[in-house]
Amino acid sequence: MNGLYSLHLHNPRIRLLRNTLIAVFLITLASVVLFPLVYMVAWSFGPNREMASSSYSIFPRVWTLDSYKAFFAFNENSTRWLYNSFVVAATTVISNVVFAGLGGYAFAKIPFKGSKALFYLILLAMMVPYQVTQVPLYILIVSKFKLSNTFLALILPGSVTAYNIFLAKQFFSGIPSALIESARIDGANQFRIFGGIILPMSKTVLAVMAINTFMSNWNTFFWPFLVTSKEFMYTIQVGLKTFRFSNGTLLSPMMAGATISAMPMFVLFFALQKYFLEGVTIGAVKG
Amino acid sequence: MKKLVATLLAAAMAMSLLTGCSGGNSGGNETASTTAATTAAAKEETTAAAAETTAAETEAETPDPDTIAVMVPPVTGDYPELMEKWIAEYTADHPWITVDLTNTSWNENPDKISTMALSGEAPDIVMNDFKMLGTLVEMGVAVNVADYMDPEALADYDQNALDYLTLEGTLYALPLYMTIQALGGNKAMMEAAGADVEKIQTEGWTWDEFLEIIKNGTVKDQTWGLTFASAGSSTKDFVNIFGVAAGINNDFTPSLKYAYTSENMKNLLSTVETLVSSGYMPNYGVEAGQRLVMLQTGQTMVTGKAMPLFESNVKNNIAALADGSALEGTVEDLEYVFLPVPTLENVQPACYGIVDCLIPCRNQNSTDEHLKNVCDFLNFLTSGERIAEVANQVYLPAVCESGRKAQEGTVLDQSDANAAASERCLGLVIAPPTGVTTEQSANADTIMTEVIVPKFQALIAGETTADDMYQAICDAAFAAFGEDGCETGFFTY
Amino acid sequence: MKKKFRIKRDDIDGYLFILVALVIFSVFTIYPVISAVITSFQNYKPFGSEWVQFDNYKTALSNSLFYKSIKNTAVYTLLTVPFSLVIAFVVALLIMPFKKKTQSLFKALYYIPAVASGVATSVVWLWIYDSSPSGLFNQLMKFLHLPMQNWLASSKTAMLSLIIMSLLNGQGSSIIIYIAALLGIDTSYFEAADIDGASFLQKVRYIVLPLCKPTTLFLLVTGIINSFQVFQNAYMMTGGGPDNNTTMIGLLIFNNAFVYGKYGLACAQGVLLTIIIAGLTAIQFRVAGDDVEY
Repeated sequence: MNGLYSLHLHNPRIRLLRNTLIAVFLITLASVVLFPLVYMVAWSFGPNREMASSSYSIFPRVWTLDSYKAFFAFNENSTRWLYNSFVVAATTVISNVVFAGLGGYAFAKIPFKGSKALFYLILLAMMVPYQVTQVPLYILIVSKFKLSNTFLALILPGSVTAYNIFLAKQFFSGIPSALIESARIDGANQFRIFGGIILPMSKTVLAVMAINTFMSNWNTFFWPFLVTSKEFMYTIQVGLKTFRFSNGTLLSPMMAGATISAMPMFVLFFALQKYFLEGVTIGAVKG
Repeated sequence: MKKLVATLLAAAMAMSLLTGCSGGNSGGNETASTTAATTAAAKEETTAAAAETTAAETEAETPDPDTIAVMVPPVTGDYPELMEKWIAEYTADHPWITVDLTNTSWNENPDKISTMALSGEAPDIVMNDFKMLGTLVEMGVAVNVADYMDPEALADYDQNALDYLTLEGTLYALPLYMTIQALGGNKAMMEAAGADVEKIQTEGWTWDEFLEIIKNGTVKDQTWGLTFASAGSSTKDFVNIFGVAAGINNDFTPSLKYAYTSENMKNLLSTVETLVSSGYMPNYGVEAGQRLVMLQTGQTMVTGKAMPLFESNVKNNIAALADGSALEGTVEDLEYVFLPVPTLENVQPACYGIVDCLIPCRNQNSTDEHLKNVCDFLNFLTSGERIAEVANQVYLPAVCESGRKAQEGTVLDQSDANAAASERCLGLVIAPPTGVTTEQSANADTIMTEVIVPKFQALIAGETTADDMYQAICDAAFAAFGEDGCETGFFTY
Repeated sequence: MKKKFRIKRDDIDGYLFILVALVIFSVFTIYPVISAVITSFQNYKPFGSEWVQFDNYKTALSNSLFYKSIKNTAVYTLLTVPFSLVIAFVVALLIMPFKKKTQSLFKALYYIPAVASGVATSVVWLWIYDSSPSGLFNQLMKFLHLPMQNWLASSKTAMLSLIIMSLLNGQGSSIIIYIAALLGIDTSYFEAADIDGASFLQKVRYIVLPLCKPTTLFLLVTGIINSFQVFQNAYMMTGGGPDNNTTMIGLLIFNNAFVYGKYGLACAQGVLLTIIIAGLTAIQFRVAGDDVEY
């Protein structure tokens, strides 16, 4: 693909053999990794009643759609929760890609005063366990800003994360500085460089950032659980857990809920798929 | 593109506005308590407007409008719906009250309560088991219920249940129900093993009888005599339920000394050690979810922890044989029997009980007037027809007179023998001593989580001895309570 | 001697770029952190805390379980983070030789399990580790004629079980981050290497590894931070495990804050944990060399 592997042009059979061996290895490992997912989807079609977890089989003996029907029937807000989750995750993705992207670039490529100190401060804040920062954050959002049951409360705390700034910085630091220098000599300012040169070659990392951020927000349970008390403001994870869909003995409804909440992730993953594959062609730009 | 820029700008502006706010507040925790009071004020304004029309109709006598925030997990399957029904009933009679209901999930409910309470934002009424009270008292958010209630209304409740909710002589909550936790069995198998099941259900059994029966009931590679779920955090159930067998019903003795350092505990530990190596019980940790499966499929004769309510699980599974969705290998004619815990020598029969309760909490807008309203609504929820409905669903008699009265006439889908056995066990529950301090209770919780449970897991896995474990408990307990604060001899109630 | 203070163009640009991020970060991350540090010197009560100076720190440091939990967490981290990196790197590398379509398929296969919710995953793992003969691993052991194990319930295997679970679970996002880095490597490097007749392993050693260093550093640092804060697995699977062999420092902090109501003590333990992680991170940056330039 990108020259790392020998193409064995003189002997396509060697290439075929090599690729088959690799594929067999990858598929074997993937089947282990995929196991929980297969189990989740299979049991979501099980009977909608109390069951001890697993009962020692991968597939249910009777397949029905009862649990899915129950999901859409059990609360008038079920679809609203999916919508809420989507709004929160999508907004968070946009603000992270934009602001963490900008921040990461600055820390990587603009030698401004205090940049190192600020960067380490951001890293340091990431190391404080959330178990102890959760209470002050709750006081801030709920008591001081009075934001409970609002989208702002769900979005703001995660709108720029240290993780993403760090990820962006590491990626941008791999881009040759010469590229930026030559653009500056041509008279471009930093914003133009970022928009015109850096962004087009960063689609991959930004897509990775987007999907990871979307997923962690989509799956977040505890914070939305804390700051929402009105059903119409629940996210899907809160909705699922608050009602019987989290009860371990109601295995199938729980798995159906998990499967439904995973659906949008699949869609997003495939929608972003093409960006994951785009290589960077620095060479062409560098000339 | 322009649109995007505009949105981003708006977002940036919103952010800077917010930081403007926070700059003023960065003083620290002290400011938190004063500022939050305004939320309450704002809330009251809206409800005041809503209540105004009704207030005008009901003359000048009407008390000030008030909002009560309630947060509950699904105590029973349809608790959220029931709750809404009861709120409507209550506010019809008390039009100046508005109830703000939040539903939470079972597992995370305690964490949400803790976070909210630590922030000074606890809901007015929360639901949990009695163990949570110590934490809330420690945080200074618990409320002395007796201060805000008629002694008459309080007299409705069983003293035994109230004792669970009392720390250092102060009552901090009202009971929903008392669950009893003991053992459950397969009647036919037990009779085949020579047990007089009816006698056990009505009179209890000794440890020796118990050992004899589970020995007879064990069929190698097929059926265990006893399977007790003890994997992971369910180890605690083992300690609590079999603690009763040795005469330890609570963390503290009636003379307020720590109980797990007593001779009783020593006896229990060595008994468990022999039980583990006996071969009548799996020598590995059984997952909580599997114990009932094993009972239903004949892989075990007796299981624990078990509640009377399991009878309905067993029946449902047998009914599911019809459409083929029942467990593979289901014993078709399984008759579930609820069993008391056997007792060691010189120990009086008892049963382990837990009281789940509704707890009033103090927050920024807690005035005396407000707490009075809160406690009145609380009492409404835990008495009469409301509590009868909850109790019926968990197969238990209510723990207040008015609730039991409302339960009369309802027939539970339960065998007479099981009903009688669970009533007997309920009468055998010994409430914790009411003089325990919050510090004692917190220390006992810590020792349970950090010493007893982990060591007990090692004991069950055969990786430590009873003597070592006893020594470890004594070391931790002497450090926490002092040697005088621990019972080291044999004690009875 | 006074050095003249001059604001350069770079300074203005730099701060403009990080402005929004910094503002949001200060309010929603730095402020709670500072507040938690302050609380670590208090006997915290929502209505009236008392200052207790270093008492919480003294309590934390005199508790033997605190040290044991740090040791457990360190062992866990040492065995999960490096192996996770190796797995993610190797998988990412092995996906490379295929055509675009096949690459997409493999990426999906490895990434998508991450969308399964935590509860669903833990149900499955409890079955895999079930100590009875019907547990999945025990069936495997029987098939291989090996003795059955008491996976989560024995102090010999409990930690190992948590480590295996962590390694097989959720490498998805590391894999796609590595793939992004691999795709970012300019083809001309490999062309040059081909002219020199370099082998595959030589290319990996002299081109891929050095150029992926920023990514590796990122995954290593964030991996260690996450691993040191982990407690959910122990909380759900073992509850601390036999004889506290799987009690993580995160679990201890969680219990103090939310179960025992000793929030001040939890904050002190949190600060101590932060110091430990910060020390480890500083070492990683020192060893890796802060910035990589080309």
